[in-house]
Amino acid sequence: MKSLKRIGIGLLAGLTCMFSVSQTALAAGSDNYVTGDNNYRQPVPQSYNVVKTINNIGDYEDEKQYFSNPQDLFVDKEDNVYIVDSGNNRIIKMNSKYETVNIFYGPDKAFRNPQGIFVDDDGDMYVADTDNSRIVHMDPKGNFVEEFTNPESSLETGTAFSPTKLIVSKTGYIYVVRGENIMSIDGNGEFRGYYGQTNIGYDLTEALMRIFASEQQKKFISKRLASSYINLTLGDDGMIYATSMEREEGELKKLNSIGTNIYRKYKTIGNAIRNPITDFINNKILKAVVAGNTFKFGEYFNDDGMYMEPEFADICVDSEGIVTVIERLNGKVYQYDQDGRMLVAFGGTGQRTGTFTRTAAIDVDSAGRLWILDRISCNIQVFEPTEFIQLVHAATSAYNDGDYTTSYDLWRRVLAIDENYDLAHVGIARAYYKQGEYKLAMEECELVGDRDTYTMAFDEYKYVVLRQYFVLIVFLAVVIIAAVIILFSVFKKYAKKCYWNYLNHKEKKMGIGQGIMYSFYTLLHPIDTLEGIRYNRARINMAVPFILMITAYIVRMAYLYIVHFPLASIELGDVNPVFEAVKLWIVPISWIPASFMATSISGGESKISEITFTSMLSLVPYIVINVPLMFLSNILSKTQRSWYGVFTALAYVGLFLILLMAMKILNNYTLKKTIGMMFVSAFMMLVIWLVLLLCYVLTGRVIQFVVEIMNEFKLNFL
Amino acid sequence: MVKKFLKERLGTIILFVIVIVFLIWGYFSIEEARSNAITYNEDYEAPEGDVDFTIPGEYVSVAKTDSLELFYNEAKGAIQVKDLESGYLWKGICDDEVYDLGTGSVNGLWRAYLQSSITITYNNLKKRDSGSKKEYVGRECGSIETEYITNGVSVTYGFLTPGIYVTVEYVLEDDQFVVRVPVDKIREETVFAVSTIELLPYFGASHSDAVKDGYLFYPDGSGAITTYAKADTRPSDVTAATYYTYTNKNVNFTNLWQYDQYNRYTAAMPVFGIKNGDNAFLAAFTENGENAGVTVYPSGYVVDLNHAGFEIYVRNTYNVNMYSMSTSIDASVTGGTVERVDKTLIPENREVRYFFLNGDEANYSGMANVYREYLLENNMLSNSISDGAGMPLALNLLMGTTKEGMIFDEYIPMTDFEEAQEIMERLKERGISDMEVVLKAWMKDYDNYEDWGPAKQLGGTGGLKDLNEYLSSSNNIHTYLENCIMFATSETSGVDEKKDVAYDGLNLEISASDFDGTIYYIMNPLAAYNRNNNFLDKLEKYDILGVAYDDVGQYAYADHNEQAPYLKSETVVRLRELLGASEGTGRNVAVLGANQYVYSYADYLYGLREDNYGLVITDYEVPFIQMVVSGLIPYSTEGAGNLAYDLQVQKLKWIEHGSLPFFYLTYESALNLRDTGYDALFSSTYADWEDIVVDTYKEFQENFSCVYGEQIVSHKILTDDVKCVKYGNGVSVYVNYGDEETTADGVTIPAKDYVVVRGGEQ
Repeated sequence: MKSLKRIGIGLLAGLTCMFSVSQTALAAGSDNYVTGDNNYRQPVPQSYNVVKTINNIGDYEDEKQYFSNPQDLFVDKEDNVYIVDSGNNRIIKMNSKYETVNIFYGPDKAFRNPQGIFVDDDGDMYVADTDNSRIVHMDPKGNFVEEFTNPESSLETGTAFSPTKLIVSKTGYIYVVRGENIMSIDGNGEFRGYYGQTNIGYDLTEALMRIFASEQQKKFISKRLASSYINLTLGDDGMIYATSMEREEGELKKLNSIGTNIYRKYKTIGNAIRNPITDFINNKILKAVVAGNTFKFGEYFNDDGMYMEPEFADICVDSEGIVTVIERLNGKVYQYDQDGRMLVAFGGTGQRTGTFTRTAAIDVDSAGRLWILDRISCNIQVFEPTEFIQLVHAATSAYNDGDYTTSYDLWRRVLAIDENYDLAHVGIARAYYKQGEYKLAMEECELVGDRDTYTMAFDEYKYVVLRQYFVLIVFLAVVIIAAVIILFSVFKKYAKKCYWNYLNHKEKKMGIGQGIMYSFYTLLHPIDTLEGIRYNRARINMAVPFILMITAYIVRMAYLYIVHFPLASIELGDVNPVFEAVKLWIVPISWIPASFMATSISGGESKISEITFTSMLSLVPYIVINVPLMFLSNILSKTQRSWYGVFTALAYVGLFLILLMAMKILNNYTLKKTIGMMFVSAFMMLVIWLVLLLCYVLTGRVIQFVVEIMNEFKLNFL
Repeated sequence: MVKKFLKERLGTIILFVIVIVFLIWGYFSIEEARSNAITYNEDYEAPEGDVDFTIPGEYVSVAKTDSLELFYNEAKGAIQVKDLESGYLWKGICDDEVYDLGTGSVNGLWRAYLQSSITITYNNLKKRDSGSKKEYVGRECGSIETEYITNGVSVTYGFLTPGIYVTVEYVLEDDQFVVRVPVDKIREETVFAVSTIELLPYFGASHSDAVKDGYLFYPDGSGAITTYAKADTRPSDVTAATYYTYTNKNVNFTNLWQYDQYNRYTAAMPVFGIKNGDNAFLAAFTENGENAGVTVYPSGYVVDLNHAGFEIYVRNTYNVNMYSMSTSIDASVTGGTVERVDKTLIPENREVRYFFLNGDEANYSGMANVYREYLLENNMLSNSISDGAGMPLALNLLMGTTKEGMIFDEYIPMTDFEEAQEIMERLKERGISDMEVVLKAWMKDYDNYEDWGPAKQLGGTGGLKDLNEYLSSSNNIHTYLENCIMFATSETSGVDEKKDVAYDGLNLEISASDFDGTIYYIMNPLAAYNRNNNFLDKLEKYDILGVAYDDVGQYAYADHNEQAPYLKSETVVRLRELLGASEGTGRNVAVLGANQYVYSYADYLYGLREDNYGLVITDYEVPFIQMVVSGLIPYSTEGAGNLAYDLQVQKLKWIEHGSLPFFYLTYESALNLRDTGYDALFSSTYADWEDIVVDTYKEFQENFSCVYGEQIVSHKILTDDVKCVKYGNGVSVYVNYGDEETTADGVTIPAKDYVVVRGGEQ
């Protein structure tokens, strides 16, 4: 728990050998948790108990008792369980009392490495007989009904038909996982098209390669494929729920009749521009350091605190629409509601009952029990829901049915067991919202950091307040605007005075207060200000840029505290002060050596001191924009995010413009040359970053090397 | 002249000086290495062996008491013990009757193993990283020397190729079968050093088909059994389980702190038991059991035999991390680890006792009873429940914690001293007069294991004083200040990061780094002891408050510190002294965890494990520890009522185990604990729980105050869901965890409920 909180910093400094330290103080079996929309594990009460572990099929007609590499499991409407025992090329049918009732080896010819099964409401079985390249349909007794071989052979060439996971819809269509698609076959064995193709995304490297490569070379560029599907299941609502390797939109999908994913999606810029640099930033840095603020199916970090990309092996949906998935690398079981909010996570890898080696399949029976198949441990564990999670399920489905009062009562009962259960607070907030109790709804949301519901409630609340105190608010607004205007003109006058004072008193060095006011004059007359520095470079006070730097940092910190809750991009507790400083200062600081180097070799006239001064001037727009913005944000909510973003962007545009003008004026360049030199400096800046990164990495290596030598020494001489 | 010379030749001189310094340094380090080097007889040649294991030999009686008779077979160096009351013969090794030793069913190695009274594992000291080898009496032992001693026999097993001789004494004493391994009789003739001795691995082994009603009992969690009858429900690859006495063999933070690691390998008592039909025995390590482990092999691990035995670790071993240079930056930097053994043997004589049981006693309840008797006789367990004491309510109160802020950490008070007092007063008003209250995290900086300084946000020393005063007028509320004295971080005040911490076998501090750079240390036993004394001194003014230890009952480790090394057994002695010192101040002492050495000092055991790790081989959890201490020391469970998914299930567990009703509460709302180190306390707000706490206590008081202070004499598993507990005063309690009403022994137990039977009446 504690260790996970600190992971952000850990990954930055992750070169020295570290242990994930967790205290046993409270550990009493609490390996059930939720992660909400941030990545912190909030423990919750035990949600499932293992009631049975099936290690073998018992004595059944001298059949082989143990499973061998079992790959799939299916629970039918009568709660019979079908296990695809792939290594033994057989299907085992058990009843709900864990007794083996039948074993099938294939109707007309023996199964060869079957990988999947679907059983319809009549008890007819559809088996993906993978190495026989067919799907075979059997009646409940195991007699041959029909088979489906490669239906698209006329359409496409070459690829062998090796079906793995499949479902059969109510209309009799067979849907089978086929790479990045789900292939549909009708009852006559005719190919009916591909369905729900995963997104291929855009890749800059590839695009560049396609532009510049010769015809000959192009042949050797491997064709990029969209991410493939892993597994699928049929919901009671007729939707197809699927798991995939698709990282852009979301690994879990709920596909409607035309193959559109209508499940919760990631809000990433993923489909926009991709290149190695943004990839690196996205994958290695951003996700690790500011993992707190983006939703993801599964988790960013495994139990050891290492970054991971989840692989969901299977998915199941119960009659209430509760989605449960298994993640095979980390052995976790994650449960979501219809909105994609996590209800609970449990399991893990290990030798303990309730943990797994490598999960392969999951299904749910009518009593809500989860049957989970492990293909390495060759067992099935049956998990029974506890009262706690049953309450959660009931509350969720009551809300989905629109029964807000019942849902409210049920969430209250959940809270009586777990005061900290996020979704219960959200559920109650939503119930309040529906009842028009916006203020209460907002309070509940704030407890658990739910920004979306908060925004909904806040927007309503704003109108309520506005209607109630319209006159007063208008009056206040007028007063504030007037005050700002007056303040601004006073400020302007004073800044101007400071500017002229500085220019006219050529014998005096710049005072600190004077320098700061002078800096703010940049916003009014940037060119004059910059020229003032250039022509009086001997008299500038270097304390001023330093103070600006610190001020910008203080503004950033204050901003984090003051900004309105739904607009905050990061939880306060997750903020890493060092990382914030780096984000803020990296451009202006690295700009100093970069532009000095670039300009000094191409006829520049600028000195390091004045570059430092002007670089820090570029932080002035940031300061000036963010101070009012952080206060103003408190009457804004997530819906006004876009135009709020405009102001944030303005600060950066200002930064860029000031750097540009400074370069032009300080070096007496033409505009064209300035722009050219901007590029050179930017390149220099990248080089500097790379060198620093390299130093960092190499230092790590050196430390590792020394440690190694010391160990070696101790090992041989002690 | 000199000046000129210096000027011209300065470089040469400096170089010369450096070379000399290096030479001297090199000389001394080589000398040191030499003095540390391993000396051994290089000319050792293995003598010719004279043992032929195909000769069946004959068992002759060597000792006899009222109830036991010991037989010895000179040809195989094997023993058998006959229970004269029941006539049952306990065999030390397997013969054809126990298991088919024909070539068809086992290979040579296993045949040898099955016929071995002991096995040894040894390493080559010259090639210390080359891994260990295991040898069996039944194969490699070339000489068996027998010496008949009073009441038994002393056998020296000579493993000739590695030149290792181990003497084991088998005797009958006090109607118990006693096995001793004297350390001065372990001889190593050459470079091979024995690290582990497996003692009587097949004593009482039986085939699942031969004995239907039987099980292996082992110290997993509160106690666990694996039954013979369920052998065919196990997976195809059954693995053995090993439990190390008190703390895992290798001491590092992962093994100590990771819940999974700790629970997987830790045995609170060095015991195991075997039940074969109407006969059973309990084996207990009665002398120097600290460096030992219990290994349990249920049927299916290569052979279809159920067996269990002790392993003795006669040398300290430690893992050496081999850092791999080839790992990439973002991958883990730990390469493989190799296990190394110490140069010297641990100078400890070992003693194991086998207690035999038959008839109605032949079960884990009987084992618990006989072990309890043994501990009581040897002053390892004492009564701390006074006659007529009322059943207390067990309460943990979390006082405060620190939440990481952006720049400054924020202290979050959860229950200040005044509020703690208010809670006690409220509960008292509502009829709860007896309480065991543990105050947790009451110091300024508990995260860094500061051991003194009540947080000023909680009321500071003044608040503590008021609380002390309040308690002096409420005799039956035992309140403990919890402390953690075995751990420290780089920020703990008054702890020397070199002198006060424990070292591993490579003479490196045992430490771990947190992600923010805090380094965690384990205190060496002496420093922990001194730290406790300081704590007690500071506590002098607060005479009523008891002390609670969250670590002393959980961890015992060896310290390889060169100045003052501690063997694991010496650490245990030191920890007992520590608890003795606390008790000596007249305070009550509460201990978290239940390592056996705390029983004679603890007035209250909290956080007692109520289940076990949950290995595939474990069929049932049994409250063995609880049976041993029941009626003598009050105890509460790990699971708190307010953190249970279903309070009713938790209550049934308390009832089955004879535990006190237990809640872990805070005065302030549990919502404050989100994103802190205590987020697992997801539901704890006192105001919300008060009624439930009072109702639960009343229910327990009404039904179970009659058994408080009574011994649990028997615990029975009637079905998977129904358990029966019987107390010394004849009261029986039936517990039904199932969803359906059940009748057992003529008693109808409603679903998820319990029935108390007093003298035949329900």
